[in-house]
Amino acid sequence: MSNSRAIIIIVFILLVFAALVIKLVDIQIVRSEELKYYAQRQQTNLEKIDAERGMIYDRNNVLLVYNRNDYSFYLDLRMVSNKGKKKIAEKFSSVFGKSKNYYYNLMSDSGKIICLEKKAPGEKAFLLTNFKINGLFYKEDPTRVYHYGDLASHVLGFVGTEDQGVNGIEKAFDKQLGGENGTRLVERDAIGDMITVAEEETKPAVPGDNLVLTINKTYQAILEEELRKGLSEYGGTAAIGIIMDPNTGEILSLANMNDYDPNKYWEYSDDERRNRAVTDTYEPGSTFKSITMAALLDQKLVNENDKVFVENGKYKFKNISIFDTHKHSWLTVKGVMEESSDIGMAKLVQNIDDDLFYKYVRAFGFGNYTSTDLPGEVKGKLKKPNEWSQFTKTFMSFGYEVAVTPIQLITAYSAIINGGILYQPQLIKREVSHNGKIVMEFSPKEVRTVISPQTSAEMRKILVGVVKNGTGQNAKLDFITVGGKTGTSQKLINGSYSKSDYNSSFIGFFPAEKPKIICLILVISPEKGKYGGFVAAPIFKNVAQRIINTDVKYFQDQQPDQMKKGNDLKVVFADNKKNGKENLVPAGKPVKILGDNLGAFATDEMPDLINYNLRDGIKILNRLGLKYKVNGSGIIISQSIKAGEKISKGLLCNIDCKEIKINGASVY
Amino acid sequence: MRIDYKLQDKFDFGIFIPLLLLYCLGLAAIYSSTLNNPLAAGNFQKQLIWGCGSLIIFFITYSLPTNTFRVIAVPTYLLSLLFLLLVVVVGRKIAGQKSWLNFGPIGFQPAEFAKIGMVFGVSYFLSRKNTDIESFKDILFTLGIGLLPVLLVLLEPDMGTSLVFIGTILVLIYWKGISLFGLFLVLSPGIVAAASIFGVVYFIVMLVIVALALFLFKKDIFFSGSIFAINIGAGFFADYVFRALSPHQQNRIQSFLNPSADPLGTGYNSIQAKVAIGSGGFLGKGFLNGHQTQLQFIPEQWTDFIYCVIGEEFGFIGSVFTLILFLILFLRIFKIAASTKDEFLSLTLIGILSIYFIHLFINIGMTVGVMPVIGIPLPFVSYGGSSLLVNMFMLGIAANVYRTKRNYI
Repeated sequence: MSNSRAIIIIVFILLVFAALVIKLVDIQIVRSEELKYYAQRQQTNLEKIDAERGMIYDRNNVLLVYNRNDYSFYLDLRMVSNKGKKKIAEKFSSVFGKSKNYYYNLMSDSGKIICLEKKAPGEKAFLLTNFKINGLFYKEDPTRVYHYGDLASHVLGFVGTEDQGVNGIEKAFDKQLGGENGTRLVERDAIGDMITVAEEETKPAVPGDNLVLTINKTYQAILEEELRKGLSEYGGTAAIGIIMDPNTGEILSLANMNDYDPNKYWEYSDDERRNRAVTDTYEPGSTFKSITMAALLDQKLVNENDKVFVENGKYKFKNISIFDTHKHSWLTVKGVMEESSDIGMAKLVQNIDDDLFYKYVRAFGFGNYTSTDLPGEVKGKLKKPNEWSQFTKTFMSFGYEVAVTPIQLITAYSAIINGGILYQPQLIKREVSHNGKIVMEFSPKEVRTVISPQTSAEMRKILVGVVKNGTGQNAKLDFITVGGKTGTSQKLINGSYSKSDYNSSFIGFFPAEKPKIICLILVISPEKGKYGGFVAAPIFKNVAQRIINTDVKYFQDQQPDQMKKGNDLKVVFADNKKNGKENLVPAGKPVKILGDNLGAFATDEMPDLINYNLRDGIKILNRLGLKYKVNGSGIIISQSIKAGEKISKGLLCNIDCKEIKINGASVY
Repeated sequence: MRIDYKLQDKFDFGIFIPLLLLYCLGLAAIYSSTLNNPLAAGNFQKQLIWGCGSLIIFFITYSLPTNTFRVIAVPTYLLSLLFLLLVVVVGRKIAGQKSWLNFGPIGFQPAEFAKIGMVFGVSYFLSRKNTDIESFKDILFTLGIGLLPVLLVLLEPDMGTSLVFIGTILVLIYWKGISLFGLFLVLSPGIVAAASIFGVVYFIVMLVIVALALFLFKKDIFFSGSIFAINIGAGFFADYVFRALSPHQQNRIQSFLNPSADPLGTGYNSIQAKVAIGSGGFLGKGFLNGHQTQLQFIPEQWTDFIYCVIGEEFGFIGSVFTLILFLILFLRIFKIAASTKDEFLSLTLIGILSIYFIHLFINIGMTVGVMPVIGIPLPFVSYGGSSLLVNMFMLGIAANVYRTKRNYI
């Protein structure tokens, strides 16, 4: 053991230690900041917080669309043991009622993450809260709920898998409903599990705004029921109905039959989901005569008592023949409308020159978008005078060679009867932010004045005559005067007019003196009846009768400004299908009504929510800044934070709801 | 006549205090790194219990008659070979390695035990009166005794421990007093073997150097030729072994060459370790506040990457403090070894020192990125019962020799 060897060993040890210390100086002092940054970057990342989508109400604040807190369950097959699989199969099959083999099949794959249950309702997910297996995890997965199923489906639209609006209001107001997604800074461990959330660097999600529609849920239900009934009675490929307030352009109801359930939109075809009221055009036929007549009267080119020779039902115009269904020799101008004489119309329209006629048709909004909020609207087809043939004006006068959408027609009719003002069809009454602030109040939008009030008054008189004496008699009501016009047009199939397929329509309004409601009914290719007067008019009559029954006072009262404002709880008789009556009566005793006293609640104490309806309950909870999870719908029957307990913002309150029945009525 | 010794004459605090501090540092780091890991929940308690047991072993070893070690040297060596054989046959497989033997509820790693067995065996052989380290035969014998356990360890396969063995054998031969040519003879096949793993070019360059050295040593042509042939053989053998290694071990060697090329692959641990230590900065993030540690970016940090925990939570101060403790410990052991006249004990202590040192160099070297990721623990600090027990036993030998130094100096 020489000394030199010892020294070499000591020197070697010291050198190695020195090298390690130098390396430590390098990474812990010189490069420390860089490595700190690197560490922070991999430990934290920004995570998206989905904003809650806004709710949709009808004009009377009936909640139509909301979100239910569902949960999706996933399993990481790499982490689960066979024992775990067995437990999962047993537990899930007992909770969800599917067979164990169903789950075993799902889990037979390996090495990936599978979805065991998509969007399981909260009450089922609740049963699994204490069920923990390695590899099993869940995510909140809210579901858009269209509370009344297929009601107003074409207006509301639906949301796709990414919560994006696909149709209807959901699409048109996707931005407003969608809100603003937030972000949060999340610290993750190496496996990616969330560890902590750094509050101060979180950008909160802004929930989407709620929309209050102009739609009246009750009218909508009536319209849909009657259309469905009509379709089964008369046959036909489709039926379309629109109810509007002619004085504002507000759409009160809009329905297409057959419709679809937005909750299960994937079960329906695009055809069923298409909103024909705005996307499909048709040649309107006789209903268009009112447009021609309004133009003629407005220009004082005819007088309602002028007489026209209508050729006993057959008229050779230039080299083509025009036939009337009802044969007459002489008719007054009024009579031409009442009897819906094509020959009369063809003769009268010769009084107006092409450009002026075109100007009127255009002014009524044909050949252009009505700018309704509903997506997919088309312009229809209106030829310019320089493209007209020698027959175009004549045919157009009774509704051929022009293609219109139902929404265009009803908008134009509104202008005819409301004193001459064309309104933009309106679907949204107001946009309210999640905390109850009104973001935007939508008011009626006048587009232009088309005809004079006198012309409008004359037209109303004429159209009342149509229902009283003419083709529209099937639309007559007992106590309230109705005006309207029938329309029967041969369908244009592959460029020639079909002898068997018709579009049968009726547009009517009431009360005739000061119209509050205008309603269009269109049945496409009815198998029975064919004529608008026989098919569409009776449907209109049923709709009108039931609407009046729901709100007798409103229609008897001649003051038009008293549009119903109540947001009280209403009860609808469940068996309204039978007797055609739908009465609205105040709610039974146990149900509390919130009304406008939202401010009355203390903000630091939990109020008693039981027996409020869900809508009001949510309002209160929103005001208090509480988070909530809702099970079921209807009336609140329990709350997880007891009344009187101290609360602070952001607490979570679970609410159970139940549909309750009072005297055979369902509460909404 | 009764001589009144002071305590520090009999008991080396220069060994014991660094030992205690290192053990406590290790406990703190284990506690911190297993705090949020349910899979390793009991590790702190286990290490505590093993630690107490090991300390008892340390004191027992300390108080044994010093002659005992020579007596048990050969049986220990043979027993360790037996255990190594057993583990290859019936061992429990953990993470691709068959390195555990079960005695009832207690798992034991024979490779740890074999370290001291090998040191005993080689030291015993080298310290025999008639051993001539310059004779070709005795060198081969020494290498044979030393490399037999290495072969068995490689069968497990455990590359880290094998490296410790090989390094220790070389140090023992060196300490015995081998000549420069003898050392060249022993070392050159190893270096050629290592070069062959890096590639054909390195292999050829090394062979040229060996040929040049042989020429300079001026031995006869036949002898030089056979040495050269042994070198070539070693190179091919190493290449063969490298190919026989499991892919993850090959990857580890390759990722050492360029760890940042594949940040989420095999270089992942190396980069994460550096990030952890580096982000600790000068003062560290504080106990239990190391985010890299708490978020478990480095798997099984309580074993091989324990130094990261110290570096991240106690900073530069903490990591250098740890190094200083080791340095004190090593220098104390070296002092005892160098001043011991008994050749067997001196060789044994140098062997023990070498084991500690290579462990420290590879372990801390890989955490700071100057060595490839080779899984071996940091003595006294890393979690692991067998390793702690054997390390304490070996340190007990050093303390024992210190106690009886008067008899041997």
